[in-house]
Amino acid sequence: MKNVRPEMQVDIGGLIIKNPVMTASGTFGYGKEYAPYVDIRRLGAIITKGISLEPRAGNKPPRIMETPCGMLNAIGLENPGAHAFIKEKLPFLREFDVPVIANIFGETIEEFKRVTELLSETKDVEALEINISCPNVKKGGIIFGSNPEMAHAVTKEIKRLTDLPVIIKLTPNVTDICLIAESVEEGGADAISLINTLTGMSVDIERRIPHLANITGGLSGPAIKPIALRMVWQVVKRVKIPVIGIGGIANARDALEFLIVGARAVQVGTANFVDPCATLDIIDGIEEYLKRHDIADVNDLIGTFDEEGRAC
Amino acid sequence: MNGTVVKNKEICAGHFLLSVRLPESFQTPMPGQFVMAREKGRIDPLLGRPFGVYHFERSKNEATVEILYKVVGKGTLVLSRLREGDFVEVLGPYGRAFDVYPEAAMVVFICGGIGVAPITYLASHYRMQTSRRNVKLVCYYGASKAENLVGIEKIKDIMSEVLISTDDGSAGYQGLVTQKFAEDVSSYEPASSRVYACGPRPMFKQLSELLAGHPVPCQILMEERMACGVGACLGCTVLLNDAEGRVAHARACIDGPVFNIRDIHWG
Repeated sequence: MKNVRPEMQVDIGGLIIKNPVMTASGTFGYGKEYAPYVDIRRLGAIITKGISLEPRAGNKPPRIMETPCGMLNAIGLENPGAHAFIKEKLPFLREFDVPVIANIFGETIEEFKRVTELLSETKDVEALEINISCPNVKKGGIIFGSNPEMAHAVTKEIKRLTDLPVIIKLTPNVTDICLIAESVEEGGADAISLINTLTGMSVDIERRIPHLANITGGLSGPAIKPIALRMVWQVVKRVKIPVIGIGGIANARDALEFLIVGARAVQVGTANFVDPCATLDIIDGIEEYLKRHDIADVNDLIGTFDEEGRAC
Repeated sequence: MNGTVVKNKEICAGHFLLSVRLPESFQTPMPGQFVMAREKGRIDPLLGRPFGVYHFERSKNEATVEILYKVVGKGTLVLSRLREGDFVEVLGPYGRAFDVYPEAAMVVFICGGIGVAPITYLASHYRMQTSRRNVKLVCYYGASKAENLVGIEKIKDIMSEVLISTDDGSAGYQGLVTQKFAEDVSSYEPASSRVYACGPRPMFKQLSELLAGHPVPCQILMEERMACGVGACLGCTVLLNDAEGRVAHARACIDGPVFNIRDIHWG
């Protein structure tokens, strides 16, 4: 048994991926940036940098600042727009036998709908991840992501327009993330991913100015992992659709925590910056763990958290 | 890639020379390219820090990279505490290199402070490429005071001429390196000269103003906060003036760190 390779395939709301490890949006570009350093074919899926209908220039620099065990970013969703993505970025991604999940973003429901249509028509993406949670754009994202009715409405509209599996990405910057999770499930979401970054800030005390031109930014990295894990654990108990865990996952131990509390898969973000091969080490580490625990299929590990268990 | 510290020595107050042994497969950096270095296994600080290469050499089955750095924050402070035998993760070489013109008759280097590190690597490259010809390598080197003229001996070995300036006048000309360069700028023939610079942003800005009236080609190496180093995170944005006169975004890590000074939008 211990020499047999464990089954790693998981089903994310109709999207079957060969292992539960993906790259988080905004941390892996459009694949090309990391292709010289990472064997992309081994990934469970690639989630692209967020795509809007029109090109976006993003925020002014400085855009990033390191903070203890993490980093703040305020990129502001810089991207070339849906048309350029389809023409210039997607063909390269298609060279690898890896599902491509397009992360999309809109400032209005109409924009969400138009991007959904454009990407669904290409037949070249396997699923959509809907960013209703970016904290950096003043109008748009945050409104959909922090209001249950809006989150429900945008999910429903997108689902009407596409046959692709739709993953809704949630923001942690809300009072009760479970309410939003339930409303997007009701709206027809095939899966939920969480968490996006936590809004934070940092001050240059010598000059008494913000470290980021945008003043606030999204906190990511190991600093946010305990919060992300807690939120995933809470949401898993409240919805039936698959949940993808995101937030500070840097190694296989982190990923396993998320799987054990019930995440069907995980996304690795900031860790890619630190070590381009972090995702591959995580895949290997999960496999090793399954072998060591005599678990033949990763699905037999997911959600096996023993809440009542006590160390003795 | 995993590296091992060979030495990490404070060569003058707050300035260290880190030498790291790397596997043979580590690519040889071109002048102007950088590496991201971090202590292996640490999550605080989390990200690697970008450093221009100071020196690189290959011997049997291994490579050695030297990084000359100044302690400016937590990342460099942690690196400064590394001892011989400690593990360092070194990613790269990353970024766009300087354009090198072996046919140039006059090559001018301008460095402010720790900007001397990548300039030294570039100048060594020029020296090797042009060893058989009579090319003049001139360096303007500015620092706050004489003690902070880090790596000055090596610079003197490579260059045909070194013009020093210090803020306090403790060595060479008293004033800014750009003021010293301003005295001579008109003597550099645009067709046969090349200018390279690395230093703080105010130095670049003054240099850009100086060169506005003098069309000698000039490339600069910009330093920005970075996360990924490969063009994915879009964190290290540099503002450029595009062909239509609009402000465009470039990534210091992959579109740079070397830029033509005339392309930069100083804001």
